[in-house]
Amino acid sequence: MSDMPDFSNVQGGSSSTAAKVYEVKPGDSLSKIAKSEYGDASKWPQIFEANKDQLKDPNKIFPGQKLTIPPLA
Amino acid sequence: MHSRLVHLLVAFAFAVVLGACGKKAEPPPPAAPAPAPAPAATPAPTPAGVTLSSVSLGKSVGADKKVTATSEVFAKGDTIHASVDTSGTGSATLAAKWTYSKDGKTAAVKEDSATITPTGPATTEFHIAKPDGWPLGDYQVEILLDGKSVATKSFKVQ
Repeated sequence: MSDMPDFSNVQGGSSSTAAKVYEVKPGDSLSKIAKSEYGDASKWPQIFEANKDQLKDPNKIFPGQKLTIPPLA
Repeated sequence: MHSRLVHLLVAFAFAVVLGACGKKAEPPPPAAPAPAPAPAATPAPTPAGVTLSSVSLGKSVGADKKVTATSEVFAKGDTIHASVDTSGTGSATLAAKWTYSKDGKTAAVKEDSATITPTGPATTEFHIAKPDGWPLGDYQVEILLDGKSVATKSFKVQ
């Protein structure tokens, strides 16, 4: 049995002053992505605005789609 | 008898040499044409690329994603931030690989990555937190840029 500590519950993340690229996973929604990227689900319109070239409906995103996550204004 | 044989051999050898001298030498094969000079290379545009400038550790970051105060010693309940400054433009994947070391053994703590598309100098922040507190000891964060290790920082929790 290992005597090393358990790090399975470590939480992590990242944010940037540069735009990030996010690949949509199954079960994602813009508000869920905004929550994970900005810590605030209500910021989803910023992601929608930054991706209007490929998103016509904020409720229709697909796994594998690559969305630009702009830095928070 | 012996001397006559020697004379015959010498005469034969002389004849062979003379014959060889009279033979028209074959012209040497034409030299391979010199390769055409390579066309002047068009200078390639400076490749857009993202390079690492610096890495700082701290307990918090500001809106600019830079740590508010650098630290290499943390407490059990701290959130630990690694602030990575980059320069250049383009697309790059930054990753932070956090590890813990004890008695010569190393354990993976967390790994996160972010694909960024900076248009100039940028700062990307990675952070880790542990709800039940960090085990005391030695830690390290390794920063990778497009899969290549570009920096490491060691820190302690005490």
